[in-house]
Amino acid sequence: MLGTVLLTFAAITVLHAAFSTYEHLSHLKAMGRPEGSLPIDIIVEALFALICGTLGASLNAPPLKEISWAAEMRKRNIDEMDSRLGFASFVNRGRNLFSGPSSQTKLK
Amino acid sequence: MSLSHSALEKLATFRANNTRASQETFKNASTVLKSFKRLGDDGWAVLEQLFLASVDVGRLDVADECLRQLGKQFPDSPRVDVLTGIRMEATESPDVVLEYYAQLLDADSANAAIWKRKISVLRRTGKIEKAVEELSQLLDTFYTDVEGWLELADIYTSCNQYIPALQALSHVLLLAAQNPFYQLQFAETAYTAGDIPLALKAFLVAVEMSERDLSDKSPPVGISVRAWLGVKLCSRRLLLNSSPSASNTVVPKNLHLIEELATERVLGVYSSKSSSTRAPEGRDVVVGWVGDR
Repeated sequence: MLGTVLLTFAAITVLHAAFSTYEHLSHLKAMGRPEGSLPIDIIVEALFALICGTLGASLNAPPLKEISWAAEMRKRNIDEMDSRLGFASFVNRGRNLFSGPSSQTKLK
Repeated sequence: MSLSHSALEKLATFRANNTRASQETFKNASTVLKSFKRLGDDGWAVLEQLFLASVDVGRLDVADECLRQLGKQFPDSPRVDVLTGIRMEATESPDVVLEYYAQLLDADSANAAIWKRKISVLRRTGKIEKAVEELSQLLDTFYTDVEGWLELADIYTSCNQYIPALQALSHVLLLAAQNPFYQLQFAETAYTAGDIPLALKAFLVAVEMSERDLSDKSPPVGISVRAWLGVKLCSRRLLLNSSPSASNTVVPKNLHLIEELATERVLGVYSSKSSSTRAPEGRDVVVGWVGDR
């Protein structure tokens, strides 16, 4: 929540600083001094938006995922590790248990 | 009706983890027959998965349709030959199937997948010695096949020959070094073979592998429970009467402390604090067994 607020605020501030720069530069161009430097408050505003945006993005990051090998192993179970699918026997009780009376009907 | 995103993810997880959840695969993937072209390359893998699941579940009509589509797309593929063989295994007699496999192996003698199917048929029909002989030849050719070594260990264990099973499992431990499941299997086989110090050592290694990254004292989950129960079992037996080790494994010095730690960890799993509403099943049995000296 706070992260989203900060990020939105920083985005708006950056856009405002950009618009102020555009206005200032066109003002300078209108006054005939196109090579002037930016006023310090626009620079401060842009840097402040950078800091707020970084803070907001860090707070907004999704929760950290476990990447260690032991954590990955905790998600598995013995049936997966010992499945030996290359040698699996497909002649088992499955056909009697699961197919039911519909096994002989044609595929719709 | 095409497959939903979550169903596709689940099927991809099944493929990656070698899970054999045939009923669930069949339920999730049975709609793929109409829409697999939309899935691109994954569609063929899902079709193969659906084929295997439907043969397992007994729906041979769906399996035939999958095989027909796969055969149409990949005409001379060895992988489709394996699937054809599996389909034949489901209905034909073993001799017919073995003849088909022999024909394929004549054409290409290093086709590991067909060789494995032949060994599976030999084992299923009871020709265990022939199966072990063929499997040993396969493992001589393809040493790094973890599945093959596991199958060899399983065949030996089913015949109560635990020392050769331990030898096969030691190759598995070499090939898949950081896997706590195979370590646990090795430990339990060693215990059954009577070599208690070796079993204790292997149980402790399994515990260390599966709890390596945990910093808090939360109760064990998954195979850690089984490993801790094994540690308790072995350490109690060694404290009661020291048994000789066929592999000359040294017994750890602080056996009392190890046993106390194992008791504490096991009780931690079955304590009423760790479950929300009522005590876990088997709590009374475990508490009685653990406290019984």
